[in-house]
Amino acid sequence: MHHKECMSDTQLVELREALRQALDEEMARDERVFIMGEEVGQYQGAYKVTKGMLEKWGSKRVIDTPIAELGFAGLCVGAAMTGLRPVVEFMSFNFSFVAADQILSNAIKMYYMSGNRFPVPIVFRGPNGAAAQVSSQHSHCVEAMYSHFPGLIVIAPSNAYDAKGLLKSAIRNNNPVLFLESELSYGKKMEIPTAEYLVPIGKAKVIEQGTDITIVTHGQMVAVCIEAVKELRRLGIKAELIDLRTIKPLDIATIVASVRKTHGCVIVEEGHIFAGISSEVAFQIQEHCFDDLDGPLARVCQRETPMPYSRELESKTVPNVARIVQTVRYCVKPL
Amino acid sequence: MNKPVKSDKPTFFPYDIQQVIKKVDPARLIEALRQMLRIRNFETRAESAYQMGKVGGFFHSYIGQEAIQTAVVEVFGPNNWYTTSYRCHALALLLGATPDELMAELYGRKTGNAKGRGGSMHFFTERLLGGFGIVSGQVPIATGAAFSLKYLGKQTEVSLCFLGDGAVAQGSFHESLNLAALWDLPCVYIIENNMWGMGTHVEQAVSVSRLAEDKASSYGMKGYTFDGMDFFACYAGFSHVFKEMEINRKPVLIEVVTERFRGHSISDPGLYRSKESLKSCMQRDPILLMEKVLLDNGLLDEEAIKQMDKQERDVMIAAMKYAEESPWPDPLTLEEDVFAP
Repeated sequence: MHHKECMSDTQLVELREALRQALDEEMARDERVFIMGEEVGQYQGAYKVTKGMLEKWGSKRVIDTPIAELGFAGLCVGAAMTGLRPVVEFMSFNFSFVAADQILSNAIKMYYMSGNRFPVPIVFRGPNGAAAQVSSQHSHCVEAMYSHFPGLIVIAPSNAYDAKGLLKSAIRNNNPVLFLESELSYGKKMEIPTAEYLVPIGKAKVIEQGTDITIVTHGQMVAVCIEAVKELRRLGIKAELIDLRTIKPLDIATIVASVRKTHGCVIVEEGHIFAGISSEVAFQIQEHCFDDLDGPLARVCQRETPMPYSRELESKTVPNVARIVQTVRYCVKPL
Repeated sequence: MNKPVKSDKPTFFPYDIQQVIKKVDPARLIEALRQMLRIRNFETRAESAYQMGKVGGFFHSYIGQEAIQTAVVEVFGPNNWYTTSYRCHALALLLGATPDELMAELYGRKTGNAKGRGGSMHFFTERLLGGFGIVSGQVPIATGAAFSLKYLGKQTEVSLCFLGDGAVAQGSFHESLNLAALWDLPCVYIIENNMWGMGTHVEQAVSVSRLAEDKASSYGMKGYTFDGMDFFACYAGFSHVFKEMEINRKPVLIEVVTERFRGHSISDPGLYRSKESLKSCMQRDPILLMEKVLLDNGLLDEEAIKQMDKQERDVMIAAMKYAEESPWPDPLTLEEDVFAP
């Protein structure tokens, strides 16, 4: 082995492995933490996030469920109220809809409604948004819907480093957390520290510096925006790119600081355009930066249709590099 | 459409009043009657406060069903997890919440049981996980509490879940019972069949007649039916379940047949129920039935009962005064505690 490798303090991991390390470390740290969901054990996880964990931790703490999201999500809310710290894996957040009553009526209201008696330390995690041609019922972006309600923390990491650090923070938090991953990013590799670290909840990150315009996005769209920023560079436009990382609570301070510098903003969101995260971000920008803006805000979102199956149609409804570049150019140099 | 073929009417689990009287300390029986009178007086006074415009929102009375939860808490003791529907006033009282804090909660005051945030449907104690507003919403929660007990190795506690007959038709009821039976979770599911899911009779809502006995077998669970109007029937039945659970720690499904004397909520005049049918069920008032047994067995006299009832009435009148004089929640605290620290 090379000396350099011995001394290395980083490791190259896929995003799914970063998530697994977070779960593993937190389960070692606190025996009240367990993971429950469909196919998390014997099958090794539908997307292999929990691969090897049943063997390591046993069936007491890595718990396979029947196909009953309402039942097991609600059961875990009850477990969280009575002394445990569950991590619920939804095979896909599309399936969280049948469990929505337990998330929205029970988990996120309980601490307030009970006059501070029962905190609900629980993480709901799994893939969110479009994958590859999985059509209308398996491609929902749920963040706008759930973020509407007070009492819920909503996190959407875009890379392995953030995924690990934020999931650890989520598990240690005493509130319900929705942790939104992307099927398309599970296999993405990144160098991350081998030593333990946390990423704080509620902090956005400027991942590309620029002076001409700000682009705000989150989750899977970060990768698309990175490509768009490169393309814009070639066209002579220096865009600043912000990855929200946490959607709620929204780190508006980081966005405002950027917009005050660039005087313009385009918000990119994988979810639908009506009443989306982008609407909220845009509104808060105009509240704080009205006098700093050189022109109207703009957004690039999923169009107002159910997700079509055909690759040709799918690529037209989800934001892509061309649409983002076109929108930014329109904002920077109005016709 | 053909009507579904109904199963037979349930037969009540056998019991002997004299055996219960022989077994239980008379002071405990008198205390149980006092609890039932306490619940009845609380509901009656709270209703009057509602009519006076002091209480808002939904309000679901437990009048007519007092024997059930009183017997359950007497048999199992307070040191367990408890969960119930929005008809939650009685259980909070039985688990130690004071009439003052509950009345103040109904009045929406700072001193209320949930700081004026929950109201009539959301009462809590250290071991009462709620008052839940969505029909059957509490059933997965109670199942989770049983999961915690098993996970943490707490062998002496169980999770007790009250639900109405209306909850039996919900999906979360089915999913919870399947999980509880699959994983041997120590949960007692108690269906208080008061015959009506709002204005819909149970026969128009559930395809079988024996809510517990017919459903339980499909989950591989035991099912029992008790007479919910008779404290002694409940006491004997739940004592049997208590002993069984001490040994096997498996979930069990119980139907307790009762009938509420009031509408579904305070705004419901109950037009779907005939006067005769209401009158006939009120003849089996659980408080009158229990008083009669205690009188017949010489454990109490009429005067003592009257005294007890008056004491409880006075407690509730004092609670109304306490609530009335309590401060409103400070609007500055409105946005506190949305998140736990």
